[in-house]
Amino acid sequence: MKIKTAIIALFIVTLGLSSSLALAAGDVLKVRAYSDLKSLDPAYSGGVFDEEIQGLIYSKLIQYKPGREWGYSLDAAESIQQTTPTTIDFKLKEGIMFTNGFGEMTAEDVKYSFERIVDSEVKSTNSPDWGPLKEVVVNSKYEGTIVFNEPYPPAWNIALPYIVGNIISKKAWESVDGKVGTTTPSVSGPYLIKEWQPKQKTIFVSNPDWHGGEAPFNELQIIPIDDESTAQLAFEAGDIDYTRVPVSSVSNLKASPPANSIIEEYPSLYYVWVGMNVENELLSNQNLRKAIQHAIDVPSIMQASYFGAAVPSTGIIAPGLVGHRDESLVAPEANVARAKEYLAAAGLSGDVRVTLDILNKAANVTTAQVIQANLAQVGITLEINLHESGAFWSLGDHTAGDRYKDIQLILNRYSMAPDPSYATGWFVTSQKGVWNWERFSDAAFDTLEVAAKSEVDNTKRDQMYQRMQDIMENSGAYRFITHEATPVIYSNSVNPGFRPDGLPLFRYFSSN
Amino acid sequence: MKALIKRISSDPLGLLGLCLVTLMVVSALGASIFAPYDPIQLNIMDRLQGPSANHLLGTDQLGRDLFSRVLFGGQVALKVAFLTIGSALIIGVVLGMIAGYGPTWLDNSIMLLFDTIRSVPTIMLALAAVAMVGPSITTVIFVIAVSSIPNYGRVVRTQTLTIKSKDFVKAEMLMGASLLRILSIHVLPNILGPLLILASMDIPTVIALEAGLSFLGMGVKPPTPSWGSILNDGFALIRNTPWPIIAGSIPLVLATLGFTFLGESLRDLLDPKLRKLL
Repeated sequence: MKIKTAIIALFIVTLGLSSSLALAAGDVLKVRAYSDLKSLDPAYSGGVFDEEIQGLIYSKLIQYKPGREWGYSLDAAESIQQTTPTTIDFKLKEGIMFTNGFGEMTAEDVKYSFERIVDSEVKSTNSPDWGPLKEVVVNSKYEGTIVFNEPYPPAWNIALPYIVGNIISKKAWESVDGKVGTTTPSVSGPYLIKEWQPKQKTIFVSNPDWHGGEAPFNELQIIPIDDESTAQLAFEAGDIDYTRVPVSSVSNLKASPPANSIIEEYPSLYYVWVGMNVENELLSNQNLRKAIQHAIDVPSIMQASYFGAAVPSTGIIAPGLVGHRDESLVAPEANVARAKEYLAAAGLSGDVRVTLDILNKAANVTTAQVIQANLAQVGITLEINLHESGAFWSLGDHTAGDRYKDIQLILNRYSMAPDPSYATGWFVTSQKGVWNWERFSDAAFDTLEVAAKSEVDNTKRDQMYQRMQDIMENSGAYRFITHEATPVIYSNSVNPGFRPDGLPLFRYFSSN
Repeated sequence: MKALIKRISSDPLGLLGLCLVTLMVVSALGASIFAPYDPIQLNIMDRLQGPSANHLLGTDQLGRDLFSRVLFGGQVALKVAFLTIGSALIIGVVLGMIAGYGPTWLDNSIMLLFDTIRSVPTIMLALAAVAMVGPSITTVIFVIAVSSIPNYGRVVRTQTLTIKSKDFVKAEMLMGASLLRILSIHVLPNILGPLLILASMDIPTVIALEAGLSFLGMGVKPPTPSWGSILNDGFALIRNTPWPIIAGSIPLVLATLGFTFLGESLRDLLDPKLRKLL
């Protein structure tokens, strides 16, 4: 009995010490990423998880500014400004050095980095982020002009400070014939990659030649942990200093937070909605679609699926972004009487039966069951079809058979970058059967989508995107659910830096 | 039957198994009487409650009474178990007897079919079936039944081959008895005992398989309660409350123990060779 007690006491003490001393051991920051490194080439970056690494080792002209509001700060650029609707002039800081003897960063490197992304021979998966980029004109060693074929305001939001804005060394890339995978010939950011242990961790050390001075940590480790609950356990055990946590854990963590930790909640940019296939025989009836819109009680979904940690959305564009609507046309709360009126107007007699296709995830299954109960209240029987990832993501794809015709209702969730064009682009007519699974088509929407992307007046742009979401909602094909939430937890010995949507900007993490 | 029950009752583990199985069957069949709440009725305001006088096993994330869902989940488990084993048994008996009594080429063909089916893991077969036709209780029954047929077929074939060479069967053949008569009057009654034991031992396996498939989202569709889907809900909420996991686990453990103890007791009673050894 005494031995057992002693072992338990030793375990508790060890756990406590490891938690509180996580940062004290050699000034090492350990953070969690949801996936492992795929590529160190910005042209083939797999998304957020690669950008979290590339953001540490490369420089950009501008970087997202940490905080609760979207903005940017200068990084490699000494100055940068929109000179005409189609041109952006920049001037680099002098003395930014690439590692491994590849010399100083010049405007030629910027030109090479950006134009390479849109080069059809490179076949970059991220080329759409540069939109109508024409070229980068080199004006002097440090100065250049980014030229677009037409105005492209999203450049400031999703190109310059994001994946395709990373500046690489032309000489270094040419020295390896442009073939960069999980090792890189040269970097210029605050950290260098010391070692990549596949599926284990990526270890960074500070870059002594970084133009920004001394990196905040001597060593930084990014540890890939797919499951958020597992990551939470790792944090509680003191193995990592930061992680995103499941929304279902927020209330418990707030009630009894782990020692020396801070919990914060950020609104996410993701958007979740129930889509309705307007070309389906039954759902082509707009009154039925509107009945479904009014029958779904979004606040109940917030409680049941998101544990009150998320709020109802008003559309596909999150708060804080241009084009966000303060209110949706259909209130988040269910209006059973109104839904029944629409159902009567639909002229459908007897039991109305519809299907809802969902990706097999716990939150989706819960949401679907709330919707099922909501629709039952107005006399609509809902059958829930669960799908594994592979099957689900091919449902609406018209090149993968005829299953897209059978879709009726679909619970969907898309990721988002901080520009409204990133959301609306999936719902134009040309996206039918690609990402537009509702097969929604509206000429006014399509026209606005093209025009808004190149509108330089932010007020006008804001109105255009709001109008587009009105059109979507008026069609009855969409019931907007939520933008979800990004709850994060970190050690109080860390001073973190987050984007307004809660995604980490590791280069800004420092010790308290 | 009374004698059988009496003999099972003389074995403590057999008695325990019989009690557990009876409890499961009665509670499942009488779920609509015993369940205090509608198992699919949402009450979000009461979600994730612990056990209380109102909710014996607490509530899930949608405020549904877990005790009621467990009772109705028993119906799904029993339905899948009996339909699966029943259909596998019938098909297995027919194919096994044909293989055992038929010509060599037919025997080899059927054995090849059995080996082919057995070479595909049940979960893989389920994944393929779900990908093609979508998850449903019918898919679950189909998948488990198909993968269980060889178990019964092989036993029946072996028993048939043994009985076929007995003198009384040869005598019947010489007297001109039809194949159907030989199989139904002489072969079938002699292989029923081992089949019954095998079936009773298979029931917990099938229940666990159904729960496993439902846990993975490949079983019954929401909101139908199943022990596996209750476990799945609990898994997602394990940091919030342990009760859905406990509620989903208890019946699975009890059903597995019950059918295993009962099956072992039946085997001891009905398997003459084993009885002689004891």
